[in-house]
Amino acid sequence: MKKYLVLLPTVLFLLVFFLVPILSIIVESIYQPQKGWVAGKYLQFFTQRISRVAYTRSLLMSLLVTVVSLAIGYPSALAIVSLKSDSLKSFLMTLVVFPLMTNSVARTFSWLAVLGREGLINNLLISLKLTDSPRRLLYTPGAVFFGLLQLFLPLMIISLVSALENLPKEVPLAAKSLGANAFKLFTRVYIPLTVEGIVAGSTLVFTGCITAYVTPAVLGGSRVTMLSTLLYQKTSVTLDWGMATVIAVVMFATTLVVNYLSRKISSLGVSRQ
Amino acid sequence: MRKIFLGAVVCLIALTVFSAAKVNVSTWGFNLDLLDKNISKPFLEKYGIEIVREVGNNSVRLTKLISQKSNPVIDVVHFVDYYAMLAVKEGLLQPVDTSKLKNYSEIYDFAKDPIGGNYGIGYTVYSMGIVYRTDKIKGPINSWKDFWSKEVAGHISLPDITTTQGPALMMLINQIYDGNAYDPELKTAFEKVRQLKKDVVTFYKTSSELLNLFKMGEVWMAPVQRFSWGQFLDTGLPLAWVTPVEGMPGFLNVISIIKGAKNLEEAYKYIDFMISEEVQYAEAMDLVDSPVNVNVVVPQEIAEKLTYGVDHIKSLIFYKTDFIVENYDKWINKWNELIAQ
Repeated sequence: MKKYLVLLPTVLFLLVFFLVPILSIIVESIYQPQKGWVAGKYLQFFTQRISRVAYTRSLLMSLLVTVVSLAIGYPSALAIVSLKSDSLKSFLMTLVVFPLMTNSVARTFSWLAVLGREGLINNLLISLKLTDSPRRLLYTPGAVFFGLLQLFLPLMIISLVSALENLPKEVPLAAKSLGANAFKLFTRVYIPLTVEGIVAGSTLVFTGCITAYVTPAVLGGSRVTMLSTLLYQKTSVTLDWGMATVIAVVMFATTLVVNYLSRKISSLGVSRQ
Repeated sequence: MRKIFLGAVVCLIALTVFSAAKVNVSTWGFNLDLLDKNISKPFLEKYGIEIVREVGNNSVRLTKLISQKSNPVIDVVHFVDYYAMLAVKEGLLQPVDTSKLKNYSEIYDFAKDPIGGNYGIGYTVYSMGIVYRTDKIKGPINSWKDFWSKEVAGHISLPDITTTQGPALMMLINQIYDGNAYDPELKTAFEKVRQLKKDVVTFYKTSSELLNLFKMGEVWMAPVQRFSWGQFLDTGLPLAWVTPVEGMPGFLNVISIIKGAKNLEEAYKYIDFMISEEVQYAEAMDLVDSPVNVNVVVPQEIAEKLTYGVDHIKSLIFYKTDFIVENYDKWINKWNELIAQ
């Protein structure tokens, strides 16, 4: 009984500030007391070109950022965990967390200085004679990709580091002594045993990407419409709150489905063992 | 006894702090430090009323007003004329009782009741011309058509349709290439922007954003409104202002009172202050807002940088606001489809 009692504050908080608002949004996207049934907006969402473009762009972008951050994050996490010196380890972890400690608006604006026509990258390209005139890097999908990757890579690394630290040190040793080569060690031992961390990290990164607003708005501008910038436009510019509700629900449902799928895939991986 | 006395003093101070007279103003976030200097500080000194600003572009602020309609937080709102009309349509404004404005008789006739029904008092007028980098673009730049020239491709920015100047620019483009500004579909203008889209760095949403794009060297040429010219000059960049041969669109900003405003008396004082000779003069001298108060006289070199004088104002193109209001939703949708492609 005590166990449930200590859960009470969290449950109450989530109930009031998360579950009830989410449910009311879902209900309102289907039925509104003043307007009656409004579920037709969903059809509109999937038939309108602008929302379809924004949705596929958001999905692909989020998937790409998740995959790339996993590919970069896993080796980094492995390296950090294998360090013997605790002070070096905590120093590196501070570096990893550092981007999370800076304000996201300031951080995104510093990208303007890096990617701008007179920015760091263009100056470098020109001084290396790789290009004659500055390239347009800002207000492109690429700019949004790098902005999001920088923003969410730390979350992936943190999740993976904590998963790897829970791995008993004897396990890789045992695998090696039983004749596993490096590839087998990685695919048959590390990955299955850290799958929870992979799923947690991927969910955090994916959800973060698909809901991020500042990064696509500042680095993508009006030419790279994503789901979150479209949502802002519907609520603050065109006042189409019906469509805004639909976009919010689609976003929420997408993250749930992706989370479910990644769990499914990971459990498949484990049960094969 | 002493404790009770102290407590009473603390309560009194708290009361005065929290009940200090204020007026909540919804306005643009451009030139804020100058607005502070020319309006907020003297207003507080003169009337003891604090100005609390909520800033954003027209569309974002209109949306906020709509969502707060039943219990408004804002007392006074600044809009460009056609946005004020949209607000009237939404039932957000109350007519201004002009007999309560001492300075009303001092403003130009065109500013007295520009949107009808006394729903807004004009307080500044401005034009839109072309600003370009003279070191990067050889030119000559003298026409709105120059945005389609090869030389500037990839270095230009245009206003988003939801900005103050967006619809007017589209109507102007339609007028230039089709001979008719009043096409409800703006067919030619949308086609011309479609051709230009790949050469536009980004479609800017606020004047501050455009100023930044110039400072960073991203943009070399753009349609710019006169009230921001002072800030552009302050960048120290080699810039020139062009009055295109086709003419410049003119804009009129109005101040309106929100229906159900909680600080009505303060709101009237604020509006009266805004059209007073002292404020209009101070704003003009800092190149913020061109005056509508007929008594304001500024030196020649300042006047040249403003939208100043009856003849100059008459030369501007003012598009019919009710036409914009009538077609605005349709244009926004067409615009979004166009930009997202």
